[in-house]
Amino acid sequence: MIEIIFASGIAVGTALLFPSLGELINQRAGVTNLGTEGGMLGGALAGVIAGLATGSAWWGLAAGALAGVAVAAIFAWAVVLRGGNQLASGLIVWFLMLGLTSVIGRDYVGQGVTSLSTMPIPVLAEIPFLGRVLFTHDPLVYGGFLAIPLLWWFLTRTRAGLKVRATGERPLVVDAAGHSAVRTQFTALLAGGALTGLGGAYLSVGQVGNWSTDMTNGYGFVAVAVVIFSAWRVGWTAGGAYLFGAMIATASVLQARGFAVNQHLLDALPYLVTLVVLVIISARRVQQPEALSAALSTR
Amino acid sequence: MIPNPQRKTTAAVGAALTAMFVLSACGGDDGDGGDLDADIENPLSVGLVMVGSEQDAGYNQAVADAAAELDEIEGVDVVTADQIPENNSVTDTMQSMADQGVEVIFATSYGYFDYALDFAEENPEVTVLHQGGFHSGDFPENFGTYWGAAYEPVSLGGMAAGGVTESDRIGFVYAFPVAQSIANINGFHLGAQQVNPDVSTHVINTSDWCDPVRQQDAVRSLLNEDVDVFSQHQDCQSTVIQAVEEAGEHIVGYHYDAVDLAGEAWLTGSTWNWAPLMSEIVETVSVDEFTGSEFNDNWLGTFAEGNNPLELGTFGDAVDEDLQNQILEEEERLSQEGESVFSGPILCQDGSELVAEGEVATYEEVNEFDCLIEGVVGNLAQD
Amino acid sequence: MPAALAAFILFAWTQEATPLDLWDALNQGVLQNATFIQQTLVRAVPLVLAALAVVIPARAGLVNVGGEGQLILGAVAATGLGVAVGSSLPGPFSWLLCILIGAMAGGLWGGLCGALKVWFRAPEPVTTVLANFIAISIMLYLLYQPWRDPEGTGQPQSRPLDTAAMLPMIPGSRVSIAILVVVGFAVLVWWLLARTNWGFRIRVTGGNPEAARRSGLPTARLSIASIGLGGAMAGIGGALNLIGLEGQLRPDITIGFGFVAFLAAFLARGSVVKAALLALLFSAIVVASNPLQLRAGLDGSAVYVLLGCLCLGMAALSRRRTV
Repeated sequence: MIEIIFASGIAVGTALLFPSLGELINQRAGVTNLGTEGGMLGGALAGVIAGLATGSAWWGLAAGALAGVAVAAIFAWAVVLRGGNQLASGLIVWFLMLGLTSVIGRDYVGQGVTSLSTMPIPVLAEIPFLGRVLFTHDPLVYGGFLAIPLLWWFLTRTRAGLKVRATGERPLVVDAAGHSAVRTQFTALLAGGALTGLGGAYLSVGQVGNWSTDMTNGYGFVAVAVVIFSAWRVGWTAGGAYLFGAMIATASVLQARGFAVNQHLLDALPYLVTLVVLVIISARRVQQPEALSAALSTR
Repeated sequence: MIPNPQRKTTAAVGAALTAMFVLSACGGDDGDGGDLDADIENPLSVGLVMVGSEQDAGYNQAVADAAAELDEIEGVDVVTADQIPENNSVTDTMQSMADQGVEVIFATSYGYFDYALDFAEENPEVTVLHQGGFHSGDFPENFGTYWGAAYEPVSLGGMAAGGVTESDRIGFVYAFPVAQSIANINGFHLGAQQVNPDVSTHVINTSDWCDPVRQQDAVRSLLNEDVDVFSQHQDCQSTVIQAVEEAGEHIVGYHYDAVDLAGEAWLTGSTWNWAPLMSEIVETVSVDEFTGSEFNDNWLGTFAEGNNPLELGTFGDAVDEDLQNQILEEEERLSQEGESVFSGPILCQDGSELVAEGEVATYEEVNEFDCLIEGVVGNLAQD
Repeated sequence: MPAALAAFILFAWTQEATPLDLWDALNQGVLQNATFIQQTLVRAVPLVLAALAVVIPARAGLVNVGGEGQLILGAVAATGLGVAVGSSLPGPFSWLLCILIGAMAGGLWGGLCGALKVWFRAPEPVTTVLANFIAISIMLYLLYQPWRDPEGTGQPQSRPLDTAAMLPMIPGSRVSIAILVVVGFAVLVWWLLARTNWGFRIRVTGGNPEAARRSGLPTARLSIASIGLGGAMAGIGGALNLIGLEGQLRPDITIGFGFVAFLAAFLARGSVVKAALLALLFSAIVVASNPLQLRAGLDGSAVYVLLGCLCLGMAALSRRRTV
C-alpha cells in the first residue's frame, strides 16, 4: 500500500512539481507570484484547446507552456515594468484568468483529449518497490525527474543562474555590474511562467484528459507555499510537491482499502503539514532571497 | 479554488424509456428539443437559475438543455443564469429576472431552497419552482418544489455493473456524504447484488463536486483494488469516464449523455429529462392554474407513477441481452405500486437494521439513510 | 482605466455581447434598477469589513491574504453561538454576542498567522493563504457532521437562526442594519489608525521596524495586534453576513468575497476610506454580473475579467507604486 501511495503521489505531485519549480525561479529572482494559479488555469485550457485541435497531448503541453508564458508576461509587465505590488498583481492575474478561462473554456468542458499513456521503463521498473514507485509513469513524470537536477545545475552552476540569484539578492549590484536586473527578472518570470503553464497543461491533457472550469482548485497557491517551505532549494521544492501529491493520494488509497478516515481532516492535512513545515523552516532562520518581494525601483 | 458543494446530482444518457413518461411526447434523446407538446395561450417569460456551468456535461447541462427545449415552445421566452452560488446571490439573480419581466423562475439547485421560498413569498406575481427538495410545511400559492427518486434508475445501473464485473468489485466515486449520495450508493449496490451476490462496492469521496485531480486519483486507487466497473455521483463526470475508458474497464454513467465519450466502456446510465415536466408546469402557469395544482407542492416523480424525470439510459455493447432483459424486468417491477429498491431486510455495515424484513422504505425514509449497507466497502466520514 | 474598460468591452464583443448589449445591461439592469443599490449595499457588508481586514495590518507592514478564511470562521462562530442561543436571548444581546464571537474567531485566525510571523518568521502572505484552506475544511467538517441541520435532508447546512437573532431591516428596504454597523466600524478603524497613538505606533512599526524597535516600541505585540484586529474585522463581516442576511450557514456563504476584498484594499493603498469605497464599487460590479448575464448574455464569470482588467488598470497603469 505504501508503494501505491508513493507511486500515486509522484503522479499527482508532478502537476504540482512544474509550477513549483517555476515559482522557485520567480522567487529566486526576487518575485513572489501568486498568479501561479492563473498561469496554471491558462496552461490547462490552452493545453486542451491545442490537444483537441492537433489530436496530440504533446502539442497541448507545448501550448500550455506558451500560455503560461503569456500569462506571466501580463504579471511581469505589471510587477517589473510598472512596479505593481507583487501579491496584489498575482491575485489580479488569478481573477483575470479565472474569468477568461471559464468564459472561453465553456465550449471545451468535458471534451476528451487523449492523455499521455504510461511508459514503464524497461528493467528499472522491475526493481522491487522503487521500480513501481519511480519508473511506471508517463513520460512527463520522467521529464519532471530530469527537470529537478537541470534546474539545480542552472541556478547554481551557470552564469545565467547566478544572475537570477543575484537579482533576487542584490538587484542594484546586478545593475552596477552592467547587467539589467529588470531584464533578468522579466525573463525569469517568463521562464517560470512556462513551467507553470506546463504544469497546468499536464493536469488537463497529461493526466485527466479534459478541461473543467476552475480545475486547478488552489494547486497554484500550494506551489507558492511549497517553494517557501523548501527554503528556496530545488531538491526540497521537488520533495514538497511530491509530498503534497502523496498526501492527496493517501486519502483515496486508504478509502479504497476500506479504512475509516475523516474526510475533512484528510483534506486539511496537506495544508496543515505545509503550514507546520513552513513554520519550522522559517524558524530555523533560513536566508530567503534578500530582495524577495521588494519591487525594483520604479521606472 | 473553493469547494462548491451542492452542484448536485445528475444524470446521463437519454433515451429509450422516455416514452413511458406520461406527460411527454418528447421521444428520443434529450437535448434536441423542439417537439414538446405544450400549448401556451398566454405568452410568458421563464427564467432558469443554475448553480454550475451550463456546459458542465452534467447536472447543470441537463437543465440548460431543458431550457433550450422550453425556448422552442411558441409563446415561451427563456432566460438563463448559470454559476450562481448558493448564497444570497441567487436572490439577486431572481430579482434581476423578475425585474425584466420573468413570470416563472426555476431555481435548479437544492441549496436554493430557502432563497426561492423567501423570494416567492415576497413576489407573489412570480411563480417560483425549486428543483431538488423534499420539503414539509406550508407552500405559498406561487411556490413548488419537484424532484425524482434518483435511486431507482441508479439501482438499475447497479444491476448492469454487477452483471458485467469480473472481479466482483465495483467502485463508486462520490463527493460528500449527503443523503442523496448515500441512497445512490446503497441503491447501486443492491442492484448489483441482485444479479451478483458476491459483489462488493468500494466507495471513495473526493470532497469536491468537481476536482478532476482527485477524481482521477480515486479511479487509480480503485483500479489498484481490482475494481473493474465504476460509477459516480460527481458534478463533472468526464474525468472518471476517461480514466476508466483508458484503463479498459467499464462505467455506469450518472450525469449527462456521455455514451460518445465513454465508447466501449459504457454500460448504461441515468439522465435527467426535465423538459416535459417543466413544460407542463409552464403550461399550468400560463392558464393561471398553478395555485392548488400538484406542482404547488412537493412534486416527486417515481417509477411507480411513471413520471420519474431521472431515466435509465441506453445500454452499451458490454451489457448482453439477458442482462438487459433482467434490468428491464426489474424496472417493470419497480413500476408496480408498493415496490421499492429498498425492500427489507437491509442491514447497515455494522449489522444494524436499516430496513426491517417485510418493510419498504418510503422516499422520506430513504432521504434519512445515514449508513452504508452491508457489502459496501469504505466508510462515511463519521465524527 | 479607459484602456481597461476598452479591453473588457472588446473581450465582451468576442463573446457576442456588443457594446450596445452592455449599455442595455448597464442602463436597464443598473441605472434604472431601484433594487440595484440595495443589492450592492447588502453585498458590501462582508466586502468592506474584509477590506478593512487587509488595511489595518498593511499599516504595520503585514499582508493579510486570509480574509476569506477569517470571514468564514466569523460566520462559523456566529452560527455556533446563534444556534445555541436560539430564542433564549433578546435580539440585541444575541446580535452583540454573535458580533463579538465572530470578531474573536476571525481575530484569533488572523492573529495566529501574525504570531507565526513574529515568533517564527513564517511569511504571513503565505500562511494566511494556507489558513484559508484549513478554515474551509473546518466549516465543511462542521456542516457535514456535528452541525448538520437534521431537518435538511442531509444537506450541508446548519440549523437556521431564530428570527429574533437576525438583524432587523432598515425600514422600507431589504437592507439590514448591518450596513450601518459596517459604516460604524469603518469610521472606528479610520479614527484608530489616523487619530490615535496606537495607530501612530502601528504606522511606525510598518514604516521602519528597526527604528521602531530601537525606540522601545513593542513591535512584536503591535504586529500581532494589527493582523488580529484585521482578522476580527473580517470575522465581524462573516458574522454580520450571517445574522443580517443569510441566517443559516452553508458552504457557499462567502465564496470568493475575501479575495475580492483583498484587491479592493490593496488598490486603496492602505487608505481606509478608499478601501471602503472600492469595496463598495467591487460589490456593485459583482452584483452587476446578473444584468450582464441576463441582458447581455455574458458568462457569469465574465465579471472576473472586468474586475481583473480594472484592477490591472488601477494597479499597473498608475505611475505610483501600490503600497
